Amino acid sequence: MTNTQSSHAGNRSDTGYEHLTPLFTELANLAEDDPRRSEVRNRLVTGHLPLAEHIAARFSNRGVPREDLVQVATLGLINAVDRFQPDRGTDFLSFAVPTVMGEVRRHFRDASWSMHVPRRLKELNLAINAASAELSQRLGRAPTPSELARHLDLSLEQVYEGLEAGNAYHSMSLDEALSPNADSDSLGETLGEPDSALAGVEDYESLRPLIERLPERERQILTLRFFRHMTQTQIADRIGISQMHVSRLLARTLETLRQGMLTDDPD
Amino acid sequence: MSDGSGAGRPEEIELRIGAELTNLPIIRSLAASIAMRADYDLDAIADLKLAVDEACSTLITRASDGAGLVCVFTVAKDEIRFQVSIKSTSDAAPSSDSFGWRVLTTLTDHADSWVERNGQDGSRPEHLVHIALAKRRADGPA
Repeated sequence: MTNTQSSHAGNRSDTGYEHLTPLFTELANLAEDDPRRSEVRNRLVTGHLPLAEHIAARFSNRGVPREDLVQVATLGLINAVDRFQPDRGTDFLSFAVPTVMGEVRRHFRDASWSMHVPRRLKELNLAINAASAELSQRLGRAPTPSELARHLDLSLEQVYEGLEAGNAYHSMSLDEALSPNADSDSLGETLGEPDSALAGVEDYESLRPLIERLPERERQILTLRFFRHMTQTQIADRIGISQMHVSRLLARTLETLRQGMLTDDPD
Repeated sequence: MSDGSGAGRPEEIELRIGAELTNLPIIRSLAASIAMRADYDLDAIADLKLAVDEACSTLITRASDGAGLVCVFTVAKDEIRFQVSIKSTSDAAPSSDSFGWRVLTTLTDHADSWVERNGQDGSRPEHLVHIALAKRRADGPA
């Protein structure tokens, strides 16, 4: 984890990882319960760590501590190692780089706060976010404040405070500053769906172009919530962001649509 | 003292506020705070917040000059009811065939709108447009 190591490896990242490639085939060929799996996996993760550090460095000086970014990038790397399929014909780097970058971008979204929120509240809100994801998995539905309080061993008032702190969350201007097509992977399958579902709605004609203009992720969330009737928690799980983030995106999308309808069609 | 409903029932929370879009965050946070303190799950809290936002926005666009929104939350055991009203020169109720109405019915368990027509003989008719919503507590252990 030394700096010299990371910058050195970063500079030759195109060619520095070839010796690791055979390990992916080895990993893929090991049985699920083979004790050697975790060892091979560890070697792959540690071997590629400079890549995570390199990507984290590209996002530094944007208001998020460097060590947090390295941690998040490393998580992205572990995901990439776990999900990579060597028999698909692509090399690991072209698979891993977007995966790790996506993870870091997501962190910016989930961690970009207005500056005046005290650190204690940010941490409280992040803890609630994490607990909420965990409890949702276990319960099969979103948790209540009292369930969160019990799980985190906090008082109800503390949970309320942490939930309310989420309202002071920076309204995603950093998102926009990052990439316009961030995380556009794995979406797309629901495209065109609002179209048929909307046909019965009287303001269909003015609504359609507005929905088409939405960013892909927003359009997908809108579709899943209002045409497939999935809950925010289910959508969060499906898309890989937090429920609170889904909530913010939905609020913003509905506002965009309302404003668009007003200007398009002055009643 | 005031001309409000005045009954002061403990489960009722009433808010009078200028019909301006910039006031929406205040109404939203109140909705979220009420649902949170009634221990609704996070999805239900977020849904109620979005629905209140949508209902109030709909009425704000119909407000006659200087009119204020009257929002009343009623917290029953397993249901939060929300009613918002505005004075309007138009006597058309919000259409139940609009996308906005689909949003309301998806987010809540009950949505309704109606108009009280007033001032037939006045120079400038002023009707009262209402939207009422209800969000039930989700099943499962509370």
